[in-house]
Amino acid sequence: MNAPVYAVENLVIDLYTPSVSVRAVDGASFHVSPGETLAIVGESGSGKTVMTLGPLGLMPEGVAVDLRGTARADGRDILTLSPSELSALRGGFFGVIFQDPMSALNPMLKIGPQLASQAQKYAGLSAEAARKEAVSLLARSGIPDPEDRYDRYPHELSGGMLQRAMIALALAARPRVLIADEPTTALDATVQAQILALIRTIQKEDGIAVVLITHDIGAVSVLADRVIVLYAGQIAEEGTAIQVLTAPVHPYTRGLLASVPDFRSESATGTKEIPGIPPNQAQLMPGCRFADRCDMVQATCHSHRPRLQTVGLGDVPHRVACPVVIAAEGIVTHD
Amino acid sequence: MQRMFMRRTGLALLLMLAATALTFALVSAAPGNVAALIAERAAGAGADGEMIAKIANDLGLNDPLPVRYLRWLGDAVQGDFGVSLRTGKPMSEEFAARIPKTLALLAGGGVLALALSLVMGLAGAVSNGGIVDKLLHGLALVGASTPNFFVAAMLVIVFSVMLGWVPTFGVSGFTSWLLPWITIALFPGSVLARVVRVNLQEAMSRPFATTGFAKGLTRRAVLLREALPNILIPYMTTFGAQFTLMMIGAIVVERVFGLNGIGAFFIEAIRFRDFIGMQAVLMLFVVFFVSVNLIVDIAAMLADPRLRRPRKA
Repeated sequence: MNAPVYAVENLVIDLYTPSVSVRAVDGASFHVSPGETLAIVGESGSGKTVMTLGPLGLMPEGVAVDLRGTARADGRDILTLSPSELSALRGGFFGVIFQDPMSALNPMLKIGPQLASQAQKYAGLSAEAARKEAVSLLARSGIPDPEDRYDRYPHELSGGMLQRAMIALALAARPRVLIADEPTTALDATVQAQILALIRTIQKEDGIAVVLITHDIGAVSVLADRVIVLYAGQIAEEGTAIQVLTAPVHPYTRGLLASVPDFRSESATGTKEIPGIPPNQAQLMPGCRFADRCDMVQATCHSHRPRLQTVGLGDVPHRVACPVVIAAEGIVTHD
Repeated sequence: MQRMFMRRTGLALLLMLAATALTFALVSAAPGNVAALIAERAAGAGADGEMIAKIANDLGLNDPLPVRYLRWLGDAVQGDFGVSLRTGKPMSEEFAARIPKTLALLAGGGVLALALSLVMGLAGAVSNGGIVDKLLHGLALVGASTPNFFVAAMLVIVFSVMLGWVPTFGVSGFTSWLLPWITIALFPGSVLARVVRVNLQEAMSRPFATTGFAKGLTRRAVLLREALPNILIPYMTTFGAQFTLMMIGAIVVERVFGLNGIGAFFIEAIRFRDFIGMQAVLMLFVVFFVSVNLIVDIAAMLADPRLRRPRKA
């Protein structure tokens, strides 16, 4: 595996609004290498978006963010950069695709010129070359008649086309890390597969590192090399996509996978939901955050925070934060 | 799009008709007798009932209201707005002399309000909760709650009487316009500054602003390039409303600063029960209000790509 292009260590993110403070991310580490796709999986509110966009300074205005840990990109810890340095890095090093392209693209701005301005600024192209680059990026993103689409406003394109334009916009600055925050959630099912295929193609061609934030297990199985399962701001389990999807260990991962409808099963009773709701992260608990919803819960779960233990050997370690299952099933650890 | 223009324009014309008819009826219903006033002017106190009745008959004042309105309208569209009972001059002459002054007042005040609101609103958004933002917020509140006659008096005391920089009264070159412009621009400028500030804040919390940051833009660049175009439509609409309100302000400001514009004429017309003058000015106001709103409506439609280029089904 290549050396990581982006590596985050022991990230802790506290969010403050005037009324509450929340520990959204609690000691998470992850890294991603060129050409690799890391999927960060978790339900709404698990902190997966905060964990990836927080270090980039992309949290909404009005929310105070306190970040600790390190996040190394391009040889620098981006958590220590000044706002203007971070701005430059956001454009050139990181590309971001958002969930809902209809609202993520400015309704008052034409699509093409935005791409061209990115290409001009970050790829160092002349105005004329940048325009050509923008048209070819639109074409490459699978947008038909790109010359015509160049001068279109967002409302003149369909959702799927807009997400393609969003991808082209992210690529225009030639980023090395592409962060895709639930890129298919707002799209029709038929378009979702096309967008995933497009991200995959571009990644393979350009050797970009991709961080895919999603709650869609289908997208994970299509795209991801490695998976991190996040629960209430903590990593529950991580490993290769195959390890996590076919041999899940953490009760939460198992629950998550069991809740995915399997269309090959003969009855609708094949799906199981996880009982209960995610904990209120404004009130921190000392133990395992999944304890209240876990069917294997034991007394120690409420008092001791589980650490990640390596359960499988290989190029990529399979690590799980649940000593109960490891002990109950006699799983060998390698720490 | 073109059909929309036609519809709006047609609607505006109908509105003008309805509003002039209403003001015509209201002015007619106001106490006072035009024929008696004219008779008094002609014969002093010796005007008798017979003379008044003759004048009323000659002018067609005994005809039913709709007939009188249509006759008035027919003359008005040909540029004949009657003769002022107070000055004895045709209203078209009064208009020709006074409209340029009022327009200069409104245009200067409008440009000043525009500049003031954009600078204040943007500076506040750049400061974003900082000392500048709070200061400007306070200033805008003061500006939007101080009556214009008070502002005018304070400005005259400080800049004309104490410092002697500008004349207190009347029109004498560019400097004599400064205080009237400031007075008339303060209220709309303050209201619009809040509109700019609040809408910029709202735009900055929208997903496309986050995309702007993700593109590598600094906060200032996101404000100017991504958020600012998005406040254009609410801004234009509020500006139109505030600009028409400035006409009301002009009535006071023209009086205070001795500008012989339409506003000052209107006050005098009311005082002297100059029904003809009142009716003509009210018609002018109606035309002004409706036209400004029509222009703003159309401009806002042209500014919004979603309306300018509706998606083909």
